[in-house]
Amino acid sequence: MINITYKEFLQELSKQTPYDFCEYSDNSIQRRIHRIIQESGLNLSQLIEKATSDAVFLERLVNDITVNTTELFRNQEMWENLFTKVLPKLKSKKNINVWHAGCSTGQEVYSNLILLNELDMLDKANVVASDINNRVVKTAKEGEYPFRFNAQYLETYNQLMSKIKPQAKPFEYYFDIDNENDKMKAKDFLSSNPKFVKHDLVAEEIPFYQKFDIIFCRNVLIYFNPELQVKIVRKFFDKLYDDGVLIIGSHEALHGFVKTHFVKNGMVYTKNNTFHLTYK
Amino acid sequence: MQQNTAIKYKAIVMGGSAGSFSVVSKILSNINPDFKYPILICMHRLKHIRSGLVEGLRLKSNLPVIEPFDKENIEGGKVYLAPSNYHMFIEIDATISLSTEEVFNHSRPSIDYTFSSAATSFREKMVGILLTGANKDGAIGMKEVHARNGYTIVQDPATCDVQTMPNAALQLFKPNKLLSPQGITDFLNSL
Repeated sequence: MINITYKEFLQELSKQTPYDFCEYSDNSIQRRIHRIIQESGLNLSQLIEKATSDAVFLERLVNDITVNTTELFRNQEMWENLFTKVLPKLKSKKNINVWHAGCSTGQEVYSNLILLNELDMLDKANVVASDINNRVVKTAKEGEYPFRFNAQYLETYNQLMSKIKPQAKPFEYYFDIDNENDKMKAKDFLSSNPKFVKHDLVAEEIPFYQKFDIIFCRNVLIYFNPELQVKIVRKFFDKLYDDGVLIIGSHEALHGFVKTHFVKNGMVYTKNNTFHLTYK
Repeated sequence: MQQNTAIKYKAIVMGGSAGSFSVVSKILSNINPDFKYPILICMHRLKHIRSGLVEGLRLKSNLPVIEPFDKENIEGGKVYLAPSNYHMFIEIDATISLSTEEVFNHSRPSIDYTFSSAATSFREKMVGILLTGANKDGAIGMKEVHARNGYTIVQDPATCDVQTMPNAALQLFKPNKLLSPQGITDFLNSL
């Protein structure tokens, strides 16, 4: 293995490690790997060797391959829809099960918890959040972020709340802001609620036995090729309650046969039970 | 230039930043309504103005303007505008894929990313057009288009609101043509 292609690299990686990136979207994965090569000075064969013999290096590689961009209340219109339409419908339920699939550093987990709290529904929420990257899962669990870099969160929060609930609690009710150390940290009553786990959507079975009312999977599917996207959305379909919703990114779309099994309203896709899946 | 009815190109790819909105509107409002190639556009947006760009272009354009969804097919006669806060890539199978990875050259969408992915996918079968802009994003991507024998046009700096972007490209390679916005429109209408 002197000169291997990046496809061979991905195949080798999937054989020798738990990680399977073979069905990731070509452009993105190629460029990520290209960047890793440039920064590490290693070629693909050397990368494989190191990744299969050094567990810490392997996790760093996964960290560098995956994309972890996220924000608090990203795409306000979606959160508005969630607050005014999706969540109120669940109010009479005893439990509300939510899964953030590909939660990255957790900003959207906290966005959702805040809305649940503003609707007095936090107590009955069972929230799980997962990501392939153990570093971001750790950050998500801590709920701690640099403050100045994210100062626009405050403005975003106020803007959104002025639209959906002008009498909402102030931002500081949910986050401790430590200006001196440039940190903001989610309050314990938020961060102690969700269960955060490391989980690879592609290579592993879904580790939750319960069904969900809401699955968030935002800007994750874009990194998969269309065939893999369909496979994953099929898994989500099976894991949703009858009226459950799947929430995706602002410019993501459902492809293939799964598309007809959801009713779209903006980024919110409601499971459509007038069809039954016969495809296996 | 001779009229050519054969399909010579798979796409026209355009990038620009400061000042490019009015150039792009001008081109799209004067382009032949039966223009047969797809036009892919990557424009920087001001952070606080995330929407309105596509609506603005739609008002003027003779062709439908789309902010594509991930894995959307590229079709002739349509204009695809990189959505706000996503990088836009062109895959080998002539579909668009989007990404939220890190900002590049302080930008998301990054013009370099769109150009270099298009260069890889379309090679000599594309036209790359770099417009006015206040940042050097796009120069390296255009150089890749050039290196793969794509046809390259840089907006004549003399006609640019801000020359940084075209000048950065001109330092890296010699484009096939240096044109004014009117010249670019005429060129496209002659294809």
